[in-house]
Amino acid sequence: MTPDQEESLRLVRDSAGGIAPRTGDFKRIRALRSTSAGFDREIWSQMAGLGWLSARLTEDEGGLGLGMAGFCAIAAELGQALAPEPFCSAAAVIGLLPETLRERALAGELLVVPAWQETPGGLHIGTDARFGDGKVQGAKILVSAAGGADAFLVTTQAGLVYVEAAAAGVHIESRGTQDGGHFSLVRFDGAPGTAVLGQLEDALEDVTLATSAYLLGAAERAFAMTLDYLSIRKQFGKFIGSFQVLQHRCVDMKIQIELGRAVLNEAIAVTDEGGSIHERRMTVSRAKARISDLVSLVSRESIQMHGAIGVTEEHDIGLFCRKALTLYNQYGTARWHRARYLELSRTKVEA
Amino acid sequence: MPNENQAPDYNAMADEDFRAMVRDWIEAHYPPAIRFPIERLHRKDTKVWYDLLAAKGWLAPGWPVEHGGMGLDPSKRVIFIEELERHGCSRFSDQGVLMIGPLLMNFGTAEQRSYFLPKILTGEHIWCQGYSEPGSGSDLASLRTEAVLDGDSWIVNGQKIWTTLGNDANWMYVLVRTDKTVKQQEGISFLLVPMDSPGITVRPILTLGDSDEFCEVYFDSVRVPRDSLVGELNAGWTMAKALLGFERIFVGSPAQSAYALSRLETMATHLGLFDQPGFADAYGRLAIDLADHVSLYSTFIARLRRNEPIGADVSMLKVNQTELYKRISQLMIDYADEYAAHAGLIDEIGGVQPSTIWLHSLQTTIYGGTSEVQRGIIAKNVLRMPG
Repeated sequence: MTPDQEESLRLVRDSAGGIAPRTGDFKRIRALRSTSAGFDREIWSQMAGLGWLSARLTEDEGGLGLGMAGFCAIAAELGQALAPEPFCSAAAVIGLLPETLRERALAGELLVVPAWQETPGGLHIGTDARFGDGKVQGAKILVSAAGGADAFLVTTQAGLVYVEAAAAGVHIESRGTQDGGHFSLVRFDGAPGTAVLGQLEDALEDVTLATSAYLLGAAERAFAMTLDYLSIRKQFGKFIGSFQVLQHRCVDMKIQIELGRAVLNEAIAVTDEGGSIHERRMTVSRAKARISDLVSLVSRESIQMHGAIGVTEEHDIGLFCRKALTLYNQYGTARWHRARYLELSRTKVEA
Repeated sequence: MPNENQAPDYNAMADEDFRAMVRDWIEAHYPPAIRFPIERLHRKDTKVWYDLLAAKGWLAPGWPVEHGGMGLDPSKRVIFIEELERHGCSRFSDQGVLMIGPLLMNFGTAEQRSYFLPKILTGEHIWCQGYSEPGSGSDLASLRTEAVLDGDSWIVNGQKIWTTLGNDANWMYVLVRTDKTVKQQEGISFLLVPMDSPGITVRPILTLGDSDEFCEVYFDSVRVPRDSLVGELNAGWTMAKALLGFERIFVGSPAQSAYALSRLETMATHLGLFDQPGFADAYGRLAIDLADHVSLYSTFIARLRRNEPIGADVSMLKVNQTELYKRISQLMIDYADEYAAHAGLIDEIGGVQPSTIWLHSLQTTIYGGTSEVQRGIIAKNVLRMPG
């Protein structure tokens, strides 16, 4: 990372406070739960205004030129605040949009999410959907933020297709997720669309890595909240954080978080230094697997260490568990990513 | 023509050139019979390597050139150690180079430096460390071996234990109690003691792996000159902590786990275990745990190379590596069937040594500060949890 990039990154982080505060309550997050969009378009516009949506684009493309490092730094900031805006998915595909659409997307006026999945659990890009005569026929499952999106980038047998959410023949069935958002089944029944050049493969790795960064940010905040609680809660006349058994379990969480950070940063470096798709997939898989697993560990332990108050809907620590449940298996389960890593590491040896 | 007595300016070399030079020389000279040892090897097996390094001027990579070292900057030191580990080079009797050299350079007198440092470089003096005691392992500051001044001599009485390769050494640096009236940490001093002093008895301790790499050392009114003290009286604890510098990161090196996993892979290939889904899954997890540990370790190495101080968080590396090493060793045992009962290399399972590795792995979460002590350090100094 160049000094210029580091300075830009610092500015991005400093500007994040209004959208993703590092202190304070989670009233905004709670208020948006179970709304039809699941997030706040006004906040999305603010993110556009800060240039965040262009973080991944080069300066030549009109972006901030922060690379994957900047993109993931923003994702981690959003994660520690549990921001529900679909940054990881929607911002990652902006670069695929044709220029006129891209400008509107960067301005925050047009929100496009990828609709790529036909089977659960992994990163298999579904292409059973058909595209011909300007019409899309097929269905996509587990689409994020569909209720608040203006359009979809749909993977089909004939490549990527841009379809507006309000177009005839688009049917959205949403099912709530634990974090108050939703996953949607989106059916395209002869819906009019426009072919878009390019492939989703690379962007999907970006989405996965950014989601890992988001989850790591969330895990770090939950861990910090837990450490704070252990330093104020007294039982038997002592701060419970002075008990060795809890200290050692906190250290285990800390080690996992630092492992997660190290692998995430390695995957970011491989991406920003132009590593092959093979190398990228290997490190992205290690990052998502490690971070998914540590997020579930931190969730369980945070609740346990908060005691009974931790299992109440009122206490904010539970919001982190709900977010973890929602993203834990999205963009590939830990199991799927471990299998992909091992498969790729074998082909590397043979190559 | 370059002056052959002049040490080359290694720090001026490009990293890749330096790495290639070190690698080539190691490959050409390292004795093949002692690659990748599991246990610490005795002086009789490593002397040849010590002498080769000494003759090359490479025995003390971190020492300044004026003291006979290579004078490597942190980045080159890391490369040097990485290449030793990559080739599976044994540690030699390295306490003089790693501990006594830096101790005397930092805290010793000019006389102590000029007397002791050259004798480390020639191998005339082989050092061992007198820290742990029967009642003072994890709680080292409670040590009771005492030194009392009697005229121009210190009289030392007490017992040390877990002295690594104490039976190979002719000198020991010892932490002794010199003041019982103050806080534990403030009454400890550093003494240099010849192992042939009257009143010293050395007894090897056999480990579960049938290795005698550790010793007990008894002091029965051992008399050493007054100038055997290093640094200030009662400043021993502070100096011992200051010595926990550069090298302690290498307790978190992935080398042990990487070697054990490579042995497991050999065994699994020989037995066709990768066709069993249960094994493949368990092995895969360990392979990823190792890859992820390497990622974490690399972040610490990067800090070292930038000459940034290493803090208490380095304990995370030790905990994670040694516990991973134990998990890998356990999987070897699980799939070795009845052959886990035998010691040494076993032909029927691919010529690997599961029980030897497993027994060795058990000590790694104990020596150098147990996993429990390390977790306590991290909780206190990194997470700042309440006392």
